[in-house]
Amino acid sequence: RNAILVSHRQKGNPLLKHIRNVRWAFADVVCDFLLGQSSCALYLSLRYHLLHPDYLYYRIRELQKTFKLRVVLCHIDVEDVVKPLLEVTKTSLLHECTLLCGWSLEECGRYLETIKVYENKPADIIQGQMDTDYLSRLTHALTTVRHVNKTDVVTLGTTFGSLSHIMDASMEDLARCPGIGERKVKRLYDTFHEPFKRVV
Amino acid sequence: MVQFHEHMISDLIEEPPNGSGLVVLSSGLALSKLISSLLLLHSPSQGTLLLLSPPSSSSLKSQVLHYNNHTIGEISADLPAHQRLSLYSSGSAFFITARILIVDLLTSKIPTSSIAGIFLLTAHSLSETSTEAFIVRILRSLNKNAYVRAFSDKPQSMVSGFAKAERTMKCLYIKRLHLWPRFQVYVSQELEKDPPDVVDIRVPMTKLMVGIQKAIIEVMDACLKEMRKTNKVDVDDLTVENGLFKSFDEIVRRQLDPIWHTLGKKTKQLVSDLKTLRKLLDYLDRYDAVTYLKYLDTLRVSESFRSVWIFAESSYKIFEYAKKRVYRFVKSDGTKWIGPSKISTGKKRKLKGGNDNEEAGGTSSSHTNISIVLDEVLEEAPKWKVLREVLEEIEEERRKQASTTEELLVGGGEDDSGIVLVACKDERSCMQLEECITNGPQKVMREEWEKYLLGKIELRDLHTRYKKKPKDPKGFGILDGVVPISPAKNVEPSSINKQEHDALVAAASEIRNRVKNDDVGNDPQPHVNSKGGGKGKGKGKGKARNKKGPTNANSGRIKDNRSNKIKKSSGDESDSENEADPSVAGGAWEATCQDASIDKGVLRKHTEAADATGSGTAKPLPPVHFYALESGQPILDILKPSVIVVYHPNMTFVREIEVHKAENPSKKLKVYFLFYEDSTEARKFEASIRRENGAFESLIRQKSMMMIPVDQDGYCLGLNSSVELQATPSQNSLTRKAGGRKEVEKEMQVIVDMREFMSSLPNVLHQKGMRIIPVTLEVGDYILSPLICVERKSIQDLFMSFTSGRLYHQVETMVRYYRIPVLLIEFSQDKSFSFQSASDIGDDVTPNNIISKLSLLVLHFPRLRVIWSRSLHATAEIFASLKANQDEPDETKAIRVGVPSEEGIVEDDVRAENYNTSAVEFLRRLPGVNDSNYRAIMDGCKSLSELALLPVERLSELMGGQKAARTLRDFLDAKYPTLL
Repeated sequence: RNAILVSHRQKGNPLLKHIRNVRWAFADVVCDFLLGQSSCALYLSLRYHLLHPDYLYYRIRELQKTFKLRVVLCHIDVEDVVKPLLEVTKTSLLHECTLLCGWSLEECGRYLETIKVYENKPADIIQGQMDTDYLSRLTHALTTVRHVNKTDVVTLGTTFGSLSHIMDASMEDLARCPGIGERKVKRLYDTFHEPFKRVV
Repeated sequence: MVQFHEHMISDLIEEPPNGSGLVVLSSGLALSKLISSLLLLHSPSQGTLLLLSPPSSSSLKSQVLHYNNHTIGEISADLPAHQRLSLYSSGSAFFITARILIVDLLTSKIPTSSIAGIFLLTAHSLSETSTEAFIVRILRSLNKNAYVRAFSDKPQSMVSGFAKAERTMKCLYIKRLHLWPRFQVYVSQELEKDPPDVVDIRVPMTKLMVGIQKAIIEVMDACLKEMRKTNKVDVDDLTVENGLFKSFDEIVRRQLDPIWHTLGKKTKQLVSDLKTLRKLLDYLDRYDAVTYLKYLDTLRVSESFRSVWIFAESSYKIFEYAKKRVYRFVKSDGTKWIGPSKISTGKKRKLKGGNDNEEAGGTSSSHTNISIVLDEVLEEAPKWKVLREVLEEIEEERRKQASTTEELLVGGGEDDSGIVLVACKDERSCMQLEECITNGPQKVMREEWEKYLLGKIELRDLHTRYKKKPKDPKGFGILDGVVPISPAKNVEPSSINKQEHDALVAAASEIRNRVKNDDVGNDPQPHVNSKGGGKGKGKGKGKARNKKGPTNANSGRIKDNRSNKIKKSSGDESDSENEADPSVAGGAWEATCQDASIDKGVLRKHTEAADATGSGTAKPLPPVHFYALESGQPILDILKPSVIVVYHPNMTFVREIEVHKAENPSKKLKVYFLFYEDSTEARKFEASIRRENGAFESLIRQKSMMMIPVDQDGYCLGLNSSVELQATPSQNSLTRKAGGRKEVEKEMQVIVDMREFMSSLPNVLHQKGMRIIPVTLEVGDYILSPLICVERKSIQDLFMSFTSGRLYHQVETMVRYYRIPVLLIEFSQDKSFSFQSASDIGDDVTPNNIISKLSLLVLHFPRLRVIWSRSLHATAEIFASLKANQDEPDETKAIRVGVPSEEGIVEDDVRAENYNTSAVEFLRRLPGVNDSNYRAIMDGCKSLSELALLPVERLSELMGGQKAARTLRDFLDAKYPTLL
């Protein structure tokens, strides 16, 4: 059950060479790639789409409603993408498919692998759990102020000792830090001292 | 106003309609004066005049305000809608930001017929898709008589890219381009008629400075060579000379941007390294030796493991020399410690091993009492001395003059103001120079040095107290030198590093002890006090400055207050203060010196000299005003100085001086330039002039073969024209399908979030003929239909909001409220259409790859649709085709979606403007703060600085929980972990 099932249609597709991290086997499936219990993918090369503009629509219709996640994996292998991609986008959007684009066979293969591998993975890596050590949290917060970079964070930290001191610093004190120019001083100061709500 | 300004104005105003045009002039030719004179010509009967200024050009704005005696109002989002309306029709001139104006135009809150015209103050930052162009297009379609005047004093940025001037003019519907370079006949005639006296002083740099400069340039060269090797960039532009300028980054970025996502880490690093190096070079001239060293230290800590350049051979020299400018090590028997210099020639990798070998000797020697002693070098910036000499010379001349024509002085005094202005690049140098002049350079250096050492020792204390694990042990061997905290855990404590470090710490603790002594020894020095005479206040200050530690912050504040006062107060007041200070402070300083008995001969000599002059005659130096070029005040017109010392040469300021002189031909004006001999500073100055001239030449060429369409008047503008263009090609396909039957044209509507007006998509959508309805959306960026909600992400955004987790939450809410939630991934036209090259993909599934993140997102939100768009225009097309069979979206419904019910009040539509967005974002990133409590915090305290002071009890009240409050409080108060 932990293999990607590949439709016989895909025989000879060079993409298969690039599925290396996950086992795969040919099988009788409606979709091109069966990635899990309720997720599947269709593969479409844009070049092929240009030749057979209706292909995608018929394939999607075949799928019926048995899958929760229906991916249209679009391999972008033409130079002039805007028009064909528009068509593909529209078709997949209106027929409840999620469009993913890859620019190389490696990339397309990787999408298939990843979706399979991550089948049961929780979403914490995209939920913003970042490094929890002090410095990266501080950097994370301070860099919301535009143009403040990591070096500045170190400078501010060493100069003022703690975040509350930084937040309470006067403009002059900020200006004294090497590498922090007029604009940054102003931005920092405004961020700390302007009220959250500017309502009159 | 100068005569050439009159020429400019008359040229501009003649042009139809009502004098539209694009004016490009050399920087420093008083654009603000030009604009304010134009404003004076404006009369309310013509209608309202709007000045569009991006917030970044606030100095220009403040200057314009200054020349108009602050009579120009400002329309901001704080004003309620009806008040804005009355202002729009009032007929006077207003500043306004593009975002408010476009929103008001789109919601037709502006009576367009009462608009006389608009001024665009930064034409160089415009493009076809920018909001300003959008504004002009709408305005023109509604009011054909309004004029559009665009200005720019940055010709260099007007020539970047292909035919930028021409394209800018087209998108603003402007027909005429006016060029006013410095070498234009009228301009140069007038400015050179009666030029000010100029004294050009070339100051030689010290040997070490030259060394550093050379090393930096070497490293830069090496980096550039590396860049060339990547074969990704055009080699011609990559010269060290170009590397000195900020615009160099632009050149590189412009070439690399289309393929930026396909670049390897190394190339990206090289680009940012070059930027760092440029900064280093710049700071070399501007900062004193100690601060420079400090900056290098922080740089090393924050960058060490990523940077390429830090590993380069020559960059080692940078650190070495920078250190030598501040201190060196001497064996206690007086011979110079040769260890460090030997190391500097060796390979760094080897060095570690070498260290170990040497160690045996090192330890024994230190045990046998030949320990290393720190010898302070504290090199002053050579310009300091020269500046002092210049000021003395000025004073001498003045006194001579005074003695010969005594009566005249009274009369002439007013005209001649006698003010000496020193112009530096930034506020920081101003403060430092001022201290230098009042207290003598040695003292300033010493103070910086003490601060530096104290910083170090504080860090060490922290280390021992908190028992922090040593950070980054890998970088340690390479970094050698000053990275002094070799923590106690280090098994071989007596390496050279250690010895150096010990010496540093010893020096630091000595200072600290001395500070304590100072406090004690304060009282038994009455005779110094008497010397200070009645000026108790001044002396107190001098004293406070010598104390370190607890009083430090305090004294700093006093100083600042004073410097501010001097800058602002008129002549006499600052006179007396300056007069008082040197002698008093000098005296006090001398006393403490003796007390602490660590003084060096040089130091004492200086203070004595200062004392002698101070007590002997009235004043050794003239009153001096310091001015930071960055602050952008019209300082010349405020102060009307008679002598100007240009400490950091800058082309714009030179021009300003010229203009000022031309405006006041009767006045005598003497200008001193201080250049470092053979420095990048001088090269930069010359190159900036060359570059500007080059830019103008190219503009002139462009102007001669510019093609501007005739209908620039805007007669067939607006929605119709663009829709018609759109319709013709599509008609062909229609003939087949529906026998050429013309479809009934219905206007498409798109609801757009206010915040999205920063981007260009609304503009492009409008060009496509859609109606844009700006509102504040809680969920999504664009609402295409009652079902379709789009969250737009540019590539950079996408990566960032994946890491921050924002995207996840945005998608979560979209999925909750809309049938068809859409993530739009928008690539930029001039960047490559791909995430990464095939070779970057790697062999394994890694969680940090964008592919993995996107897959995960898709897995968790199977209903999410993804749109991949090549460019803005492609997006617009996709939107149009998606909307084809859908109903139009409902504005009022869209606004209500996702707004938390507890703030049930109907929101004003300019909500986004009412928040200090960066502060809110900052707040939300603090630990302990989450989606559910940040609103309460914002209600409970006014600003972040206030938050910083709240006790934990109050916080837990606001945040609804002990734990979260504790987390936040701890984070706020946590001592910064030391990496140094």
